[in-house]
Amino acid sequence: MSLAAEAFVSQIAAAEPWPENATLYQPLKDDQILLSDCASSLAVQTYLRMCGLPVQVACKANAEYMSPSGKVPFVHVGNHVVSELGPIVQFTKAKGHSLSDGLDDVQRAEMKAYMELVHNMLLTAELYVQWCDDSTATEISRPRYSSPYSWPLNHILAYQKQWDVRRKMKAIGWGGKTLEQVYEDVSQCCQALSQRLGTQPYFFNKHPTELDALVFGHLFTILTTQLTSSELAERIRRCSNLLAFCKHIEHTYFKDKST
Amino acid sequence: MSAPDELFCWEGDWGLPSVDTDCLTILAYAKFAGAPLKVHKISNPWRSPSGSLPALRTSKGEVLSRPSDIIIHLRKQKYNADYDLSAREGADTLAFTSLLEEKLLPALMYTFWMECKNYVEVTRRWYAEHMPFPLSLFLPGRMQAGQLERLSLARGHNALEAGEELEKELYHDAVECMNLLSQRLGANKFFFGDSPSSLDAFVFGHLAPLLKAKLPNGKLQQQLKSLDNLTHFCSNILLLYFPTDGRENLSHKASSQAEGGDFDHVPNKRRKQILSALVAVGAMLAYALFTGILSIQHVHQRAIESSPGLPADEEEEEEED
Amino acid sequence: MGAVHARSLDPLPMRGPELGVHADDVDAPDVEQDPKQEVLENKNVVVQKVHIDGLGKTKEDCLTYEIAEVFRAKDLIDVMKRSHEARQRLLRLGIFRKVEVVIDTSQGVDALPNGLDVTFEVTELRRMTGSYNTMVGNNEGSMVLGLKLPNTFGRAEKLTFQFSYGTKETSYGLSFFKPQAGNFERNVSVNLYKVTGQFPWSSLRETDRGISTEISFPVWKTNHTLKWEGVWRELGCLARTASFAVREESGHSLKSSLSHAMVIDTRNSSILPRKGGLLKVHQELAGYTGGDARFLKEDFEIQLNRSLFWDSVLSASLWGGLLLPIGDQPTSIADRFYLGGPTSVRGFSMYSMGPQSKGDYLGGEAYCAGGLHLYTPLPFRPGKGGFGDLFRTHFFLNAGNLCNLNYGEGPQAHLKKLAECIRWSYGAGILLRLGNIARLELNYCIPMGVQSGDKICDGVQFGAGIRFL
Repeated sequence: MSLAAEAFVSQIAAAEPWPENATLYQPLKDDQILLSDCASSLAVQTYLRMCGLPVQVACKANAEYMSPSGKVPFVHVGNHVVSELGPIVQFTKAKGHSLSDGLDDVQRAEMKAYMELVHNMLLTAELYVQWCDDSTATEISRPRYSSPYSWPLNHILAYQKQWDVRRKMKAIGWGGKTLEQVYEDVSQCCQALSQRLGTQPYFFNKHPTELDALVFGHLFTILTTQLTSSELAERIRRCSNLLAFCKHIEHTYFKDKST
Repeated sequence: MSAPDELFCWEGDWGLPSVDTDCLTILAYAKFAGAPLKVHKISNPWRSPSGSLPALRTSKGEVLSRPSDIIIHLRKQKYNADYDLSAREGADTLAFTSLLEEKLLPALMYTFWMECKNYVEVTRRWYAEHMPFPLSLFLPGRMQAGQLERLSLARGHNALEAGEELEKELYHDAVECMNLLSQRLGANKFFFGDSPSSLDAFVFGHLAPLLKAKLPNGKLQQQLKSLDNLTHFCSNILLLYFPTDGRENLSHKASSQAEGGDFDHVPNKRRKQILSALVAVGAMLAYALFTGILSIQHVHQRAIESSPGLPADEEEEEEED
Repeated sequence: MGAVHARSLDPLPMRGPELGVHADDVDAPDVEQDPKQEVLENKNVVVQKVHIDGLGKTKEDCLTYEIAEVFRAKDLIDVMKRSHEARQRLLRLGIFRKVEVVIDTSQGVDALPNGLDVTFEVTELRRMTGSYNTMVGNNEGSMVLGLKLPNTFGRAEKLTFQFSYGTKETSYGLSFFKPQAGNFERNVSVNLYKVTGQFPWSSLRETDRGISTEISFPVWKTNHTLKWEGVWRELGCLARTASFAVREESGHSLKSSLSHAMVIDTRNSSILPRKGGLLKVHQELAGYTGGDARFLKEDFEIQLNRSLFWDSVLSASLWGGLLLPIGDQPTSIADRFYLGGPTSVRGFSMYSMGPQSKGDYLGGEAYCAGGLHLYTPLPFRPGKGGFGDLFRTHFFLNAGNLCNLNYGEGPQAHLKKLAECIRWSYGAGILLRLGNIARLELNYCIPMGVQSGDKICDGVQFGAGIRFL
């Protein structure tokens, strides 16, 4: 069944195979990229590696503005430009590459729910720490974010971004939270992930899914990124199976890179 | 024992204990956990201690307004509906709550607050009719602006226009979310077996208004109604935990159906007539006052001019007035 | 002897309707001399006093420069001529609504028998003038509010503010202008602005917020402008379907540039000149005063006009420009040159030639374009001397090229590259002059030398603009 159905769904996209020159765009790796963008980018890269789809990583200072949704990372494949993990997963699926085909309905529902959990809590917490914690914003986020720009544009853009994020936090009800509450949320989120993972190698047993890519992207980035306070990483380190999970994925999919 | 916590929430309608998602969630959770709350169902958010609804005033005088904070507070008071859940199920609760918030809530906000027909005929009408007079003129608009801002911020940079594109995207996500919930629920009575938990409260809070409101543009509603186990889940909770509201619904059914079918139904017409009469009277009064103030100043000025000559007369006149 | 009103010398009302035969078209006014004036003509007179009546906030010191010449008059005709010139100079300041000149014999104790008093009766513009406009375009409406404070500090300064609030974009501009007293052409202005432009031929949206300072001054017959400009430019895609090449240019950049422009303009009108020439040279150096954009831009424009038989005019123009990036950063799409359209190389769509990516034109770093026009009055000259003079027919031959240069190849190769694949077109059409600022064209064009990727506009093409090839 799957062959006929898939061919119908993805007639057009499947007509073009995944090209060799597919490119992933993200902000400048050394000077500019921030924790949250780096995590999202790593998640997409991990996902594409899990699918066995080659992609080149291009660092552009204006990646955020190049993206059709204003969010990084995005991939440029053939004539298509797709941003963020969710749409990219759908896009690869249309081309016949999927990691979640083996799951049953309930598992797929759970996978989606946990992906939203990561978006809703981990990503939001990363944004909060980056832009709403004054010391992090002053020492890391603003200077890094604005590093490609010259004076006075660097200040304008950095404060504009900070203002935008803070407004967003206020709108989703995070405005009144303290840093400690946010760390507590991260702990809660990690415990939930840790519970769900248990002792399995991947969230859904033996095979990786997009959820594994997403969780690895965020956790690994938080663990390896130096912030003003290591509290965020500490909260993750309390869940030992998540640490093992990160090591395992790094070893399986990024071995060539680290050696 | 100290006085019970007081919960302020929106009034109910459409056969629901409250029309608002957050209020419904908390009411349902309180019922599930058996928390003895003193519930004030009001329709004037300015009478709430936090200025918005829902709000919980704890026995210590603290005021909480985020549903998750309120639930945590109730949990600390040993009213825990999730007591029997395993750690794994607790994790699932967190995950599915996130799913609701990220995928379903934006579409709900769109359906109720941005879709013009629904907003004008149901949402704004309901809030305007239930709020006291001067508030009903501007508060619904302000609530809409707040929802709009929240939706546009949550979706990032893209300019937010109530267009087909946006609707399609939001509804696609929402339908996917409802399907996932339906699959997760399966044939169970509640999400985790036979007793309700906080996740059930959240799902109920999000789905029940969509299920019960009489929306002129019911695309999303149709999708929900096609998922039998979810509709049954909602009506089951209503039946078991809010029997009075359910019965109210039955007794009002005849009249409410008439309401739904005929937009020029009488009570509203009268309200409109009263409102327009009020506006007209208000405008006249304002005009009279305006011109009156002018003439009073005029008289007053003349009075000052003439006062050195005839001080006594002036006083007399004032007394007469 | 009664007062002689210098007003009679005016060939036309100066502030008449814009749509009319303009003063520029009328050659030096022929002073028709009455028999009465002939008597006075040779009599020596002395201008004893010059009054300016009706001054409110204007400071007199700056006006004395403008009227000083009147004192040098030797006879009555001279007085009238110089008064007329002084009147023009006063009007040019843009601070008076009306200036009338009254010449009378001197009165009072120290009056000489041949003494004259000249009185300028001026009416000042209001302290503040406002304007309100609404504009409706496709899918967009906007409201434009304008506020002008002429003569802000009493010395012909001008403060203007314009605010446009649209359904999609808001833009504003604030500018302050100050001329040197007695030398109106020497002036300083400071501008602060935000403008948004949409360029569908490139699928590009550009928002500029900037500040600029410029100094203008005449040297011999030329006018120079020195300018510093700092602009924060925000580029974005106009649609999701924009090509990736345009997408890559999106984002913020800061341009700080010094530029110099020199203009020699001896034409008798800027829109439909009959004689004279124009030379405009503009150069811009960006990057040395800060900002991200670094380039040197050179640009010139030459136009020569010559009257032929039967009121027809032959006009030749040549444009060219070069953009050199400094350093290894490529040039931005916002800085490059564009060519094509009803006011440059006719027969091609607006800015639709040269380097492109999937239908989005990216502009070029070098261009040259030339045009040859023969302007004639309408056939059979309907409405001659009136409305018909606003129209002209013309025959044209345009040519141009736009490309990117490879700087490794040397100047010879550049010229060769510009010379090959030249686009050209010819045709005929009707022109309508709109005041002295713009003109409309309706042409029948035949494009030639089209390269693949260019968008042509074969046949009838309509255009409006203020600058023409």
